[in-house]
Amino acid sequence: MKVSMYTLSTCPWCRKTKKFFTEHHIAFDFTDYDLADERTQERIMAELDANWASGFPYVRIGDQVVEGYRPDRFAELLGIGSGAT
Amino acid sequence: MNTESRKRALRMFFDKLVGPMGFKFTPDAELADFLLEQEVTLETRHGVPFCPCQPIRHDRSRDMKIVCPCIPFHRRHFDAMKRCWCGLFVHQDVTDPDSLPQVPAKELGLE
Repeated sequence: MKVSMYTLSTCPWCRKTKKFFTEHHIAFDFTDYDLADERTQERIMAELDANWASGFPYVRIGDQVVEGYRPDRFAELLGIGSGAT
Repeated sequence: MNTESRKRALRMFFDKLVGPMGFKFTPDAELADFLLEQEVTLETRHGVPFCPCQPIRHDRSRDMKIVCPCIPFHRRHFDAMKRCWCGLFVHQDVTDPDSLPQVPAKELGLE
């Protein structure tokens, strides 16, 4: 299942999210919104707005979207135990 | 002003602001310290201490709503979570901030 996420380099919950997927040996792509170029930022914001999302981390697991650090939700969508707080 | 002294100044300033709103600093000292440090970085970069966990859109009217403490602009959402989005502030009765997940406003039926 493909996992990708939009994050902020300043956000501790984004770091926890990356750590969650790393510790569960699940490959993922990420883009740090604040470090991205203007065109990429506009594209990311358009996607968040289309999904009524406004905060980071913003995680896509397959065709599902999770906004925020939600280890239980990540685990549910991945079909694994959360193993995180 | 160096980072540590600016963090102390922001802490004193925010403490006076959030108390009357029913919030306090998170009891998670490590998280609070990290978030304040990020806010000092953002203040150095952009001139104001934006929330470290929400996007700067380069749209003044929207960006002003994520200047810390942004509680007044997200009052119903943060009251429902008993924390702000980044977790720097929690309701005054909260003793276990780890028990309070980030939940988008739309999932709480607020948007």
